[in-house]
Amino acid sequence: MPFDPVANVQLLINGLAIGSIYALVALGFVLIYNAVGVVNFAQGDFVMLPSYVAISFLVPQVAVFGTMMHWQLPVIVAYAVVLVLMVGFGLLFNLIAYHPLRDRGWMPVVISTIGVSIFLRNFAQLTWGSQPLGFPSLFSAETIDFSGLHVRPQDILIIAVTAVLIAFQYFLFERTSLGKQMRATAQDRTTARLLGIRVSRIVAITFVYSVLLGTISGFLVSPIFSVTKEMGGLIALKAFAASIVGGFGSIPGAIIGGLAIGVVETFGGFYVSAAYTDAIAFVILIAVLLFRPQGLFGERVAEKA
Amino acid sequence: MKSRSFLLALLIIALASLVPVVFRGNDYVLNLFVVAGVYAIVVMGLGILLGFAGQLSLAQAAFFGIGAYTSAFLTTRVSWNFWEALPVAVLASALVALAVGYPSLRQLSGHYLALATIGFGIIAQLVLINWKAFSNGSDGITGIPAPAIGSYTFDSYGAYFYIVLAFVVLTAYITARLKATRVGRAMHAIRENEMAANAMGIDATKYKILAFVLAGAYAGLAGSLLAHSIKFISPDSYSFDQSVVFLVMLILGGSSSIGGAILGAVILTFLPEVLRPLKNSYIMVYGAAVIAMIIFMPQGLAGLFGVLKRRFARA
Amino acid sequence: MPERGLLELRGLEKRFGGVTAVTNLNMSVREGDIHALIGPNGSGKTTTLNVISGIYRADGGSIAFQGTELSGMRPHAITASGVARTFQNIRLFAQLSALENVMIGRHPRTKTGFFGALVPGGATAREERDTRERAHELLAFVGLPDIAHAQARSLPYGDQRRVEIARALATEPRLLLLDEPAAGMNARETTDLIGLLRRIRDRGITLLLIEHDMNLVMTVSDRITVLNFGTHIAEGVPADVSRNPDVIAAYLGGAADVA
Repeated sequence: MPFDPVANVQLLINGLAIGSIYALVALGFVLIYNAVGVVNFAQGDFVMLPSYVAISFLVPQVAVFGTMMHWQLPVIVAYAVVLVLMVGFGLLFNLIAYHPLRDRGWMPVVISTIGVSIFLRNFAQLTWGSQPLGFPSLFSAETIDFSGLHVRPQDILIIAVTAVLIAFQYFLFERTSLGKQMRATAQDRTTARLLGIRVSRIVAITFVYSVLLGTISGFLVSPIFSVTKEMGGLIALKAFAASIVGGFGSIPGAIIGGLAIGVVETFGGFYVSAAYTDAIAFVILIAVLLFRPQGLFGERVAEKA
Repeated sequence: MKSRSFLLALLIIALASLVPVVFRGNDYVLNLFVVAGVYAIVVMGLGILLGFAGQLSLAQAAFFGIGAYTSAFLTTRVSWNFWEALPVAVLASALVALAVGYPSLRQLSGHYLALATIGFGIIAQLVLINWKAFSNGSDGITGIPAPAIGSYTFDSYGAYFYIVLAFVVLTAYITARLKATRVGRAMHAIRENEMAANAMGIDATKYKILAFVLAGAYAGLAGSLLAHSIKFISPDSYSFDQSVVFLVMLILGGSSSIGGAILGAVILTFLPEVLRPLKNSYIMVYGAAVIAMIIFMPQGLAGLFGVLKRRFARA
Repeated sequence: MPERGLLELRGLEKRFGGVTAVTNLNMSVREGDIHALIGPNGSGKTTTLNVISGIYRADGGSIAFQGTELSGMRPHAITASGVARTFQNIRLFAQLSALENVMIGRHPRTKTGFFGALVPGGATAREERDTRERAHELLAFVGLPDIAHAQARSLPYGDQRRVEIARALATEPRLLLLDEPAAGMNARETTDLIGLLRRIRDRGITLLLIEHDMNLVMTVSDRITVLNFGTHIAEGVPADVSRNPDVIAAYLGGAADVA
């Protein structure tokens, strides 16, 4: 296949865009893991749920619980309302699914998050039905053309917003007291507690922050794909793969891992095999697990005898 | 096996044998019993891996599918009969489990292992969808023949139920024997404290791989059994979500109890049907029930029975 | 003078990243001895035990047990060769019973595998019975004949330590490594432990123990090796070691009382 620079740039932009989504979801997932040592199987549903709720406020007519609702709000207001609602959801999630199990080891919590995921998907089906729903885009144009490139404006938005969020994350963690408390809690909860940090509050905040990352991811990705109850599933699994590739527990690793998987998957889907596109992330995952389990930036922690 | 458990098991087998008689003609219910029995085998296999050896795998559906497709392929494309295809299906699943388990279990555990098994499961399903020469792709394989002995064909759900029951009893026996002897104890040791298990002369990696292969073999056997019962298979059934269902069945029943595994499978096969009139509410409750279960009843129903038994013993 | 002991460490090295935990360590444990390994906190005692038992891989030097080189062997193979251990933080199989814990210790000396398990009678049944009887015997030997069916994690701390010892003994070791067996014990329990250690030695098992309780060490040890900063600074009989100026200097200011 002749090297076509235009196609490759478009693929790169696509890849970075979907990779940004993986990065954001992976980031949310790593933050929870660092704070409480738990793999959250519901992370993808943190993308799905707010997308549905947002649709309820954005689209002129939406069937909710079988009846038609006409709740259309201005875009900014709708987004703000959903964010607020998801803060409440994050607190609820912490209270019900994590807090009662915090001393019981990792497996009960994993199973609990699986339960949450099942609950959320079924709740979504019950509330909004099984048909895929369209998410209104902020842009009227499908593509923007310049220099011979056809670029999706949504892709540019995704990459831009993700960059802003990463910068915000950096600022939060490095420069604010809250961020430092979150880092301390993630490193060593006992010591953090002894230093006067209110660990349960920080944990709750971490969950909420992670849910909000998922919410924004939902706003970003839903205009491209339609919203279904299953949309979170594959995204979450690829985000897990991304965080492992980047190094389990590493924040820069989650971001780079997400971007890398997005790009490799997009190029691989185009040049190698479209049918096996989804497999690419997992082949990379398995390869990393077998040959370099600490990923790019992670550290292996050995068990003390 | 203690004589009381043995008698209880005999009683249950006797009662189970009456199912096709009691529900004669009711294909809907008999089919559910067949499915419940098949799932019980998968869940028992997962019980060896998770309940005994403490390793979380979310790939049981993949092995379930490998067994189903191997058996379906051999009986529809190459005209083998059920009895020839079944052991090959089990062997195929076991070999794939070995190929996957050997490199993985040597260095991965906990979350890493779970994620690797998820990755494998997804890849396996994609292969089933895309390797059309073997699986016929998304169209699935139809016309899978029923087993026959001589001129008698096990065509009805009632008759087929006896075959499934026989295999449930066989796998339950194997699992119980493992639990009561050195190999089962070694696996329990690994679950409780892998470092100490190694220090007591147990090659933890070897036993984890054995548990993984057994889980895969059980699932492969079950997959083959179901394929010949419903006579049509497609890749949709062998998904990550299905692996999650198997896990929930095991947790419900009690992860290190054989009776629990079977009970969990039976309950979660029948419950959706029983609650079908209330379908919408049921769906909502399922996920919430999983959370409640793991918080309040982590040892599952078997654990609950254990607690009740001790209460009665003391009273 | 260099003797061929049951266990010979020569030039043992172990590093973790930039930190050297054990360096150029020589130690000789004679058969039939109760041999203590002591030293200030952080001197490398537990690391040494972990290297001997195969949990860590040595970065240099040799570990010879009955002439066989142990370094590079995996932990379960080392146990099968005759070196068993207990752990500083008790590592019992918490949800299993005391009896099951000790029965698991019989693993390297028994052989029923997957196929053997499927047959209920014959050699399998005999081995099961034998395993169970030996386990009961060992629980009685460590002074706990009545707690066989108690769940391990429900037992009092001192009993848990003894069950861990019984479990290690079940592997039929020639050399038993004990990591702070007296930790958390009161005076009476410590006296009982001393009796137990001697009875183990009388059964022909060599003991290598890490301990901080100096009374225990001085009372029960035949020989002592002292570590500081990852290497040996003295080795000999208790009387000589306790008068060794290097040893006294190492402990000066520390909490240990070298009497």
